[in-house]
Amino acid sequence: MAGEASQGTFDVVVLGGGVNGAGVARDCAMRGLSVLLLEKQDLASGASGASSGMIHGGIRYMTSDRRVTELASRDAGYIRRIAPHLTFRIPFLIPFATHGEEATLLDRLTWYATEVYVGTYDLFQPLKGGKPSARLTAEELYAVEPSLRPGLHGAVTLDEWGIDGQRLCLLNALSAAAHGAQVRTWTEATGLVREAGRVAGVRWRDALTGEHGEARASVVVNATGGWSPRWGKSNGVLVPMRPGKGVHLSLDRRHGNYGIICTAVDGRQMFLMPHEMESIIGTTDDDYYDDPDDLDATAEEVEYLVEGVASLVPSVRQSRITRAWWGVRTTIYEYGVEEDDLSRDHRILDHAAEGSAGLLSIVGGKLASYRAQSEEVTDRALALLGRAALPCRTHEEPLPGGDDVPVASELAEQHGVPEAIAARLVYRHGSLAREVLRVADDDPRMKLVVCRDEGIIAAEVAWIARHENVRRLQDLRRRCRLAVGGCGGLDCARPAAQVVARELGWSADQLRAELSDLLEVGWRERRPVLDGWQLAEEELLRAVHRGLGGL
Amino acid sequence: MAGATAALAAREAGGRVVLARKAPGSSGLSGGAISVAEDPASMPDTPFAARSGVVESARRIAVTRPGHPYRVLHGRLDRLWTALEFATGQLSSVLAPPSGRNRWLLTPFGHAHAAAACARSMAAGDLAEVRGPLVVCGFEGHLGWDPWLVASGAERVRSLGAPETLAVRLDLFRWEDAALARPFDLARMLEAPGVAEEAGRLLRKALPRGAAAAVFPPVLGLDPGARVPERIAAEAGIPVAEMLSDLPSVPGLRLHRAIEARLAAAGVEVLQGEVRDASGPDVPAAVGGREVVARSWVLASGRFVGGGIERHGALMEGVMGLPVLASEGPFADPSVRFAGRSSASITLRDSRSPQPLLAAGLRVDEELHPLDAEGRTLHERVFAAGAVVGGHDPASDGTGMGVAIFTGWLAGRAAAGRAP
Repeated sequence: MAGEASQGTFDVVVLGGGVNGAGVARDCAMRGLSVLLLEKQDLASGASGASSGMIHGGIRYMTSDRRVTELASRDAGYIRRIAPHLTFRIPFLIPFATHGEEATLLDRLTWYATEVYVGTYDLFQPLKGGKPSARLTAEELYAVEPSLRPGLHGAVTLDEWGIDGQRLCLLNALSAAAHGAQVRTWTEATGLVREAGRVAGVRWRDALTGEHGEARASVVVNATGGWSPRWGKSNGVLVPMRPGKGVHLSLDRRHGNYGIICTAVDGRQMFLMPHEMESIIGTTDDDYYDDPDDLDATAEEVEYLVEGVASLVPSVRQSRITRAWWGVRTTIYEYGVEEDDLSRDHRILDHAAEGSAGLLSIVGGKLASYRAQSEEVTDRALALLGRAALPCRTHEEPLPGGDDVPVASELAEQHGVPEAIAARLVYRHGSLAREVLRVADDDPRMKLVVCRDEGIIAAEVAWIARHENVRRLQDLRRRCRLAVGGCGGLDCARPAAQVVARELGWSADQLRAELSDLLEVGWRERRPVLDGWQLAEEELLRAVHRGLGGL
Repeated sequence: MAGATAALAAREAGGRVVLARKAPGSSGLSGGAISVAEDPASMPDTPFAARSGVVESARRIAVTRPGHPYRVLHGRLDRLWTALEFATGQLSSVLAPPSGRNRWLLTPFGHAHAAAACARSMAAGDLAEVRGPLVVCGFEGHLGWDPWLVASGAERVRSLGAPETLAVRLDLFRWEDAALARPFDLARMLEAPGVAEEAGRLLRKALPRGAAAAVFPPVLGLDPGARVPERIAAEAGIPVAEMLSDLPSVPGLRLHRAIEARLAAAGVEVLQGEVRDASGPDVPAAVGGREVVARSWVLASGRFVGGGIERHGALMEGVMGLPVLASEGPFADPSVRFAGRSSASITLRDSRSPQPLLAAGLRVDEELHPLDAEGRTLHERVFAAGAVVGGHDPASDGTGMGVAIFTGWLAGRAAAGRAP
């Protein structure tokens, strides 16, 4: 896909390879439009890749935006249908805590209100295949989650779905490409081409090759997320937004099997949850008007998150934080509202009145609703193009690998790999795990385990390099979490780089440059959380990569 | 390495020595290089032959790097060479003697790394000494090492005096589970009768005309007694060397075993277990349940991997609770207290920059006594050696082993009561 000339004419050019951009590209392509998707970095390298990794129904928005909750719940159900391999159940606990020793009347009223609230959310659960809530006594609560601090009075449960948001985004882009779209990552839209008050296309530049060109299209969709306000400004249109910085922390292992809803020092709700092979603490929400390319987590944000969780799970202070990661939410602009109270609804802006007819911007929205949002945008694009409104099928047609998902144990036996490896392959690739393992059938060396944290084998690295739109080594962070875990690439980075280099024909110097770039991204994420054993790991990493590798 | 050097030096000076440790040291993670100093005044295009020797390079580091242990010890750097000869001599079963200048050794990452001394199994791969084509070998049956990537490390320094290279994959390990084996397993496989010889025969077939030496992945036997490099060399007819190792490290394990053997032979008593109640000389301390009273103490507990320096919200020394006051960059100034600062504020965004957090450790005087915030000696008979001493980044700045050996040797002799 990458590298093909994108000179030429399209129906629609989509800017931004986040979940909205990839979703729009997929829907447009499935409805017969010719599409070019441009992403200045890699797919899911912005907010889509830094989401909490849930397609939750948005229980928090039920009081203000019941429509958002319904939309998100319904679409979460669709995502489970089209990518069943990528979702997993996360049961949450909302513990009942008191400030003093004894529960006051107010405490009891709060618990009752919580139960009623979660009970109302139960009405939405069937839309996404979730289980109804349950009331746990204190005894039951400590039986399922012994790490909670003493003195809690029970809990109510809440069922949500976890997902790998980065792969969700990738699968949309791959599906778009399979339906004829051109997907160009690491390619920036440098400017809008306008003719007679209409957009006529975009100019683009490939960040890796320096190649540049112009793509003509009468509809341009701006789905650049947190970059939208700046991109709009430099292209003469207004994209109002309240960008909100959100920071998460990862722990080195699954803390338990339940997510825990906690209250932060300022009264905000936050969580600790098991997610794939690790645990996630999230999240902060603060207005952020600086450059979205220049984010870092601060010491204050890290402590805020740890403190909030420690109020219910004191042992989190002893756990190993492997990294902090962040993104910018693209929340709809409102004045005089706290960050948390901003609507998570979405808007589609038509910039015709600004002399840019044919330019649409999408603002706001949630990961869980990306598909419905994309459908709306595609409907608008079809209308602008004056095309017949073909029906949307993105909720019916499975994403790549989402059909006929194999059973890991059977796959393991057929191909002679450990079941743990097969399970991770099935999780990431669904039915395509069979194709990945065929690479190893032809070459037993490809069963070499590259990462024991994530269960990555050389065959998967090669397959991803061949089929998943990889242009840089760091793209594999988002394809299979290469060098993302606690080891930071100590074991996996070099062998994986060797495999990718062989597949993509990189020179040794290029391989070393890519390796260096991959490790630098990891360093940025670990820097704010270097403590305890993670600091010792950093010393080893430096010894190997800087000392021995000269990187 | 610092602890073992201190123990052996104190032993040689006639002391009775107990080496207390909670776990095997991080020398087992060594890649096979004894890095002491690389000339900071040399340019990237300065030929190997024109670069200054190891001791002179250390002197230059002492001038250019405020806070570095070589700076603290600059008045004693004339003994660095003696210390280095002592340590490599003690471990001569696995280490080749130093020559006074740096050897340039290939790494699996395709980099040429400077080392004052190295594993015996690596000496023949010195890029500054190999005259004629160097053959870089990988294995056909194992993806662990890419000989073309490794060889690129020599190509990049061709103009500095490195030989031309030829990368080859020897058709070895194409059986059963060898493809999935970890380095230790491969090392064991090569020890088996006939396997090293087969490697040698395959190498001989692949040799270009005039080939001067061959470099292999660092898995040439776990036991030096199995003589794997020698057996390959005998069959191929040219000298054979290992490249340096990343982790896990077979050469590191060999070094660790050699240290163990040497400590035992020298009569150093090794006690394993957590050290408790460590309040200093002449006061009983518990080591793994045993009570030890010592006249002098040498703290050689390492940095973060070793566990000598810990960070749990704030930096501290883990055995005696000494203050962490030395670092580099903006924190080389001893008046700046940084131990309690957030990790983001004592690291720099570009990982290639010197990182104050990774260079944090004890502040010492010229006698290697740990100092307090006011610069006062904490105890006349407590010494610090190795990575627990701050001011350098032992993992990556190319002076880690040099500081370990030099400070270990000085501290060990001082602790045994012998003037340096």
